[in-house]
Formats: sequence, structure tokens, C-alpha cells
Amino acid sequence: MIINNKEPLLEVIDLKTYFFTEEGVVKAVDGVDFEVYQGETLGIVGESGCGKSVTAFSIMRLLDYPGKTVGGKIVFKGYNLLEKSDDEMRKVRGKDIAMIFQEPMTALNPVLTVGFQISEALMMHFKIGKKEAINKSVELLKKVEIPMPEERANEYPHQLSGGMRQRAMIAMAMSCDPVLLIADEPTTALDVTIQAQILDLMRTLLREFNGSLIMITHDLGVIAEIADRIAIMYAGKIVEYANKRTIFYSPLHPYTFGLLTSIPRLDLEMKRLNVIPGVVPNPLHFPEGCKFNPRCSFVTDRCKEEEPQLIEVEEGHLVRCWNIDKVAQEVKKGLLVGV
Amino acid sequence: MNRTVRKLFSNASSLVGIVLLFIFIIIALFAPIIAPPLSDNPYQVPRMSWDVNPQPPGFPISDDIREVYDFMGTEIKYDKAICGTAEGGYDIFYGLIWGTRTAFKIGLITVTVAGFIGVFIGSISAYFGGWIDEGLMRITDIFLSFPFLVAAMVLTTILGRGLDKVMIALIVFGWMGYARLIRGSILSAKEETYVMAAKALGVKDIKIIWKHLLPNTIFPVMVQGTMSIGSMVITAAALSFLGVGAPVGYADWGQMVSFARNWIIGAPGHAGQYWYTVLYPGIFIVLFVLAWNLIGDTLRDILDPRLRGEL
Repeated sequence: MIINNKEPLLEVIDLKTYFFTEEGVVKAVDGVDFEVYQGETLGIVGESGCGKSVTAFSIMRLLDYPGKTVGGKIVFKGYNLLEKSDDEMRKVRGKDIAMIFQEPMTALNPVLTVGFQISEALMMHFKIGKKEAINKSVELLKKVEIPMPEERANEYPHQLSGGMRQRAMIAMAMSCDPVLLIADEPTTALDVTIQAQILDLMRTLLREFNGSLIMITHDLGVIAEIADRIAIMYAGKIVEYANKRTIFYSPLHPYTFGLLTSIPRLDLEMKRLNVIPGVVPNPLHFPEGCKFNPRCSFVTDRCKEEEPQLIEVEEGHLVRCWNIDKVAQEVKKGLLVGV
Repeated sequence: MNRTVRKLFSNASSLVGIVLLFIFIIIALFAPIIAPPLSDNPYQVPRMSWDVNPQPPGFPISDDIREVYDFMGTEIKYDKAICGTAEGGYDIFYGLIWGTRTAFKIGLITVTVAGFIGVFIGSISAYFGGWIDEGLMRITDIFLSFPFLVAAMVLTTILGRGLDKVMIALIVFGWMGYARLIRGSILSAKEETYVMAAKALGVKDIKIIWKHLLPNTIFPVMVQGTMSIGSMVITAAALSFLGVGAPVGYADWGQMVSFARNWIIGAPGHAGQYWYTVLYPGIFIVLFVLAWNLIGDTLRDILDPRLRGEL
């Protein structure tokens, strides 16, 4: 998607969210910068525990003790969300920024009907009556392609299938016409055919309301489908940030490269799937220097001593690595899946 | 809810409880017909004689009492103490019938009000956490540290005699269990994703507690409440028995037992001569408490997902 409007809708600047646990301070998100423009989809990709969900919750200010956003700015429509009062922030949630959760199973309240849960936000943000809100929820259910929306609205979450529940979640999130939607692994709990349907639905809806989406996932396939620009996160920091084409065709960070080469390929004979060796480092004891260095196949002495900065290698392509040249050479060998 | 009702009726022990409770409800509802009041205040137990000694079942109303009623122009609708009279000629049967109303009043009002207070404090405490939780829970601890019966007795003594004072005392020292119970449930329920999802939609905290959390966590409190209706009635009876409860002559089961205090062992050479003074009120109290406990037990079995085999 071409970005006409250069004014970003959401700008996250040097966001730092730490968890103050008894064992020590966990720097779950440690200096993250990105921006989201009107109508575009930003993908945030990373392994479990890299801080992608915490980033989302920080934007919504939904973190409770022991998590706390200790620094940075979240500028949304020109206002810093971190400076808003609780009550002002409550009015932003749902109305301006909405969120879709990973598990549609647990994200819907088991004792309330689907219709009620959708109309709840409507009644509050638009100050409309119950009847009107219920009518609107039925319309929303129709919009997310749930068959027999009138009946479904009166049903409880356990009476719906997984895919339908996620559709209902989307209807809930979309109910107040938010300008920014944050989807935290919305397709992870679904099987592949349903995933494709949900992604299709989200794309259609996005086009319709011209809103922006932050898609958080560990699934590169999903990201390839839906994202315009991608931020790869590792250990609480963005390691590579570029548009989709660049990430998939010419990544410059060893971690991105590792992720892409570990996707199984159909067009090549492969004895074993490539993997990134090792595990995500313990957030209480990050390694010295570059946090990826114990797992990196391009590692040099410098990586173990000095942490690289996120530098712009070309316009709109930011990488945090000392050995960009080596990665670039490796990429040229043509092992990547491509889009 | 239909399933719950069906199970309540299909379980033998709860069926006994329901039948008992039904009988008590009938008694309470038709009290004016079963035992027509003889004075303006129906809760005042009429005296069948001025005699201090209890009189056996079937004792007819004494002539001097009859004269008093004739003089006042009150029609005497029944003239026999079916269950005998207690100390001071108080009619046991009348006391039992109208005492049923008292028992329901005490049980339902104290448990409902105490339940509300407990749920309010417990849910606020659990949901907001931090200093609010700390403060409220320490207050709860302070209240819990008083022995229930002694505390209720002292408070009733301070407030003065009367059923309302008894109920106030029972409520003041009876809400902590509910607070603890609901706090525990909400502490775990508030970590559920649907709470986060509701917050992400901008739902107000108070609405999240009321609409999202309480419907998911209230059942243990309901079970606890049902079970403690019986024990509240027992405690009220105990207070009456100890002489700090209902005023003398008030239709209350505890009061009836209290009248029997001096006559339980009977007269010299006639052990158990005054058995009716303690047996009838005792049976009523036991059956009433039993009814609620049987229902409460079954409710717990039905509402506990672990016991009903769904988990």
C-alpha cells in the first residue's frame, strides 16, 4: 500500500516496558521505535517472549503490576497516550484503538451472550440504548460473515466454533469503528483453513474502514499475507525494520535470515530443516554485546562486546547488526523462500 | 439454571431438604391461620396460664387468662396448648409457628446483607489489588479475629435487646467469609483473557466486576450463603438462649429453648418430665438447619465443575 499521508497515525518512540520481579528487572521491551500510517498494516514478528505482546499491551496501557512502562512516548493522533489519565485512556480503548486476542476461547466471557459482549462497548462509547446496540451487534456479526447472526447474538461463546468465536472477537473489536486495530496472534489458535478465512476477512474489513493494523505474530506466512511493513523483534528490541519485500527478499539481520531459512521449502530437496541454534536468552541475564550473538552464525568478537545500534542502511530499512555485509552475501546465494 | 433445578429435585438428600423447606415456607405463610394471634402483635407469644411451671401438651387455657381476654373483648380462637406451655405459660405451639417466620427473617436477611457486604468488599479488594486489597483484607482479618458468638453477644448487649439488634450483630460479624471467598475467586478470574478483552474495549472497572467477574465467581458464595442460613438461625437462637436475643415472649425458637433452660432435666424423681419444653423447639431448629444444609450441599455438588465431571 502506498503511504500518501506522511503523518503517522501512531508513533512509538523509545518505548521501555520493564517487569519488576523478585529476581530482578525484566526488560521485556527495551527501546522500541516504530510508526504506523493510516491504512497500512505493520507486522511485528518474533519468537515467544521477545516482547511483541508486551509492546501491544503497552500501547493499550493494559499492563498491571509488576509490568510498567518506564520510558518513551506513544504518540497517537498527536497525543502521548502515556500522559493520558486513566479515564481518558479508557475512552481511547475500544473507540480509537481496539485489540483482537490470541485465544478466542478465553477472550470471550463464558457467561455472557455474544450479542451482549459486542453491544457493551457500543452502549458505552456511543451512549446508545440496549435495543439499538443489539441491532448493531447483529449487523456486525453479519459483517464478519457469521451465518444466522440474529440467533448467534443470543448464544453463548461455547455454542460457537473456534473460527466463529474469532469472528465474533473481530466484530467486538470493530464495533466502535476504531482507527487502529492491534491483533495479537489472532490466528494462532485456529487451524490453517480457518486462518486463511480470518485473514481474508480482516483484509476485507481493513480495506473497508481504511484503518491501520498492527499484526503481532510468529507466523511468517501470516505476515507475508497481510503486512505492508515488518518489524522483527528479538529480546525486547527491534532488530530489523523494513517493508515486506525487503524483509523477505533481502534481509540484513542474521536473525531474520535464520527465520526465513527455517521455513520448509517445496521447491528444493532438503534433508533437514534449517534451525536457529539455541534458545531465547533468559531476559534476566541477557548476553553481553549483541543479544543474538550466542545463536548467531555470523558472530564476531565485536558482537560479544558491543551492542549494535539500529541503523538505517537504506531508506526505510533499519538493521541492528555489525555484520550486514556477510548476511548480504549469504542472502545472494538464494536460500530464501521469497514471497 | 434449569439443569440446576432439575438436579436439585432428582437428588434424594436435596429432595428431603426441599420438602422440609417447603413445609417451613407453608408454616410461615399460613401462620395466622395455623395459630391465630390473640393480640395486636402477632409475634407476641400468648400465655395460657400465669403458672411458672411448664404445662404438658393439651393443656387448656386457664380460667384467669380466659377472663382477661373476655374482659378485653378478644375472641379466643383456640384454647389448647397443643405442644404444652413453656415456663410462664407461654404457648409452645404458637411460638414454634410464628417462630418460623422469625427464623426465615433472620436467616435470609442476615445472609443476604452480609453476603452483599462481603461480596462488595471482597471483589473491590481483589480487583484493584495493591493498597486497597491490603487495607480491606486487614480489616477483614480484624473482624475475623473476634470469636463470632462472643462478638455478636457483646454487640447485641451494647445495642440492646431486640431481633433487629441481633441481626445487625450477625451481619457485622458475618460478612468476612464471603469477602474471602469472592476475593479468592476474583483473583484468579481477573487474570482471564476476557477481562483483558473487556478492558481493551474500554469497559469501566465497576462494570467489569459486576457484569464479567461476578457472574463467573458468585456460585461458591451462593453455596456458602445457603449453608450459613442455617447457622445464622442457630446463632440467633443461641443468643436468645443466652438471654441477649429477642425480647421475652417474642416468637423465636431460641427463646422457646431458652424458656426450657430450667426444666430440661425434669423434676426430682421425674427425669424428663418437661420433655416437651425442649423437644419441640429443638426439632424445629434441627430440621430447619438440616433443610438448608442439604440444599446447600447439593448446590455445591451441582455447581462445582470438578464434582460434576466437566473438567
